[in-house]
Amino acid sequence: MSDKAAEVQVPFQLQCSVNGELKTIAAPPSTRLLTILRDEMELTGTKRSCEIGRCGACMVLIDGRAVNSCLTMAYQCAGKQITTIEGLSANGLDPIQQAFLEEGGFQCGYCTPGMIVSVKSLLDDKPNPNVDEVAEALSGNICRCTGYGGIWRAVQRAIEGRRYWK
Amino acid sequence: MSMNVQETLTSPLVWHPQTAAEAWQYKQTYGIHSVFVAGGTLLRTHWESGAAPMPQHFIDLSAIRGLNEIRVGEEGLLIGGQSKLQECRTNPLLQRHFPMAVDAIRSIAAPSIRNLATIGGNIASIVGDSVPALLVYDASLIWYNGQTEQEEKLSDWLLAAGQSGYRNDRLLLSLKLPLKSETSRGDRDENSTNSKMKRFGAFHKVGRREAFTPSVVTAAVSGSITDTGLLNKIQIAVGGGQTIPRRLIEVEKEIVGTAVDGEMLRHLFDRALELYEPREDVFASASYRKQTAANLIVTELWKASGRFIGQGG
Repeated sequence: MSDKAAEVQVPFQLQCSVNGELKTIAAPPSTRLLTILRDEMELTGTKRSCEIGRCGACMVLIDGRAVNSCLTMAYQCAGKQITTIEGLSANGLDPIQQAFLEEGGFQCGYCTPGMIVSVKSLLDDKPNPNVDEVAEALSGNICRCTGYGGIWRAVQRAIEGRRYWK
Repeated sequence: MSMNVQETLTSPLVWHPQTAAEAWQYKQTYGIHSVFVAGGTLLRTHWESGAAPMPQHFIDLSAIRGLNEIRVGEEGLLIGGQSKLQECRTNPLLQRHFPMAVDAIRSIAAPSIRNLATIGGNIASIVGDSVPALLVYDASLIWYNGQTEQEEKLSDWLLAAGQSGYRNDRLLLSLKLPLKSETSRGDRDENSTNSKMKRFGAFHKVGRREAFTPSVVTAAVSGSITDTGLLNKIQIAVGGGQTIPRRLIEVEKEIVGTAVDGEMLRHLFDRALELYEPREDVFASASYRKQTAANLIVTELWKASGRFIGQGG
């Protein structure tokens, strides 16, 4: 083993960017990102629900890509850019959030932050997605209230809004 | 607010080897108290559900150079074991030459999971949904055993891994998919027709939901039919749920070279029922899985046979 693989480990400190601010967080390396965001940083817009990556309520962006924070461990976030739902609205509502409001893309609202983060990841990658691409992008987000109709309308409005403002 | 006390007390140590040799050395040092971790998505769900205890040592594979590359080698496409599933799903080389593998990967979980999970992890789970498609492409695995690299057919490893008491401390470096002459010439479409041969291929996953569902049955079928309606080549692999995927080599040999007609399809259906031995669970019986797999396989061949099917009854 190399020097880097020494038998004694120094206490882990997570260094990363959260919503544009550099952070150093003392935490066990296997701690879930979800725990760090909610319990340590009080960023409670990221929701705790299934905790096994099935529902998408805890979705965040890591280096711009949607990831389930309940499955992501602290050491996997070292040096990364993490964006939560709070980060999306740091300078006012994101157009995607506005689209969800205008189209009623929510009911109880618990899944909504995760939905919006997934849509943000999709539209940043593919500004003009087709129906299959939207369905695939949101396949990891579950809503138990809306029947998805309002969510589909909101995504469509967000797509059209980006086209209009481009 | 302080960190959860229980989480702190039970937290494992995480090692970050820079080379395969270092990773292997860690595994030798910590043995059954350690685990190789790539994306960690499946492991995490096992730990959360209590299906497996969280080991005391994680061996993080993400820093090992070269394990997240997808490139053309001398004998085929080499996919590093640390390649994210989403990178595989969108890779142009995979899309061009191995579309069934891309379809299979697209059916695994959701994009957010695929952004973390790796192809190596999916294979190492033994029952990953990519495996049937990889079997049909005659994939090999490149392992590191502490001294050298070893190449092993995926099908051979699955047979060994299915034995009780099987233990594997080797590190999966990469996956190799042979580039066939016709695919390397750019004939990517597995459902294409030229003057002599009609090629076909499809991957199917049946679950209990439309998307993001655990598989009940997975099936991959690939082959070609001559312009006279004879089956020229055939590869069939089945898996799903907790069933270790396998090729149906026996029936492949029986039907290759024969006419694709009703009699042959009935034989294929009956033999698929016999050969496929799925594990059942509380959601789906073995009988249901057998019927589903046989239907998927036969339907694919029936669709491919097109105009020939009416001639044989």
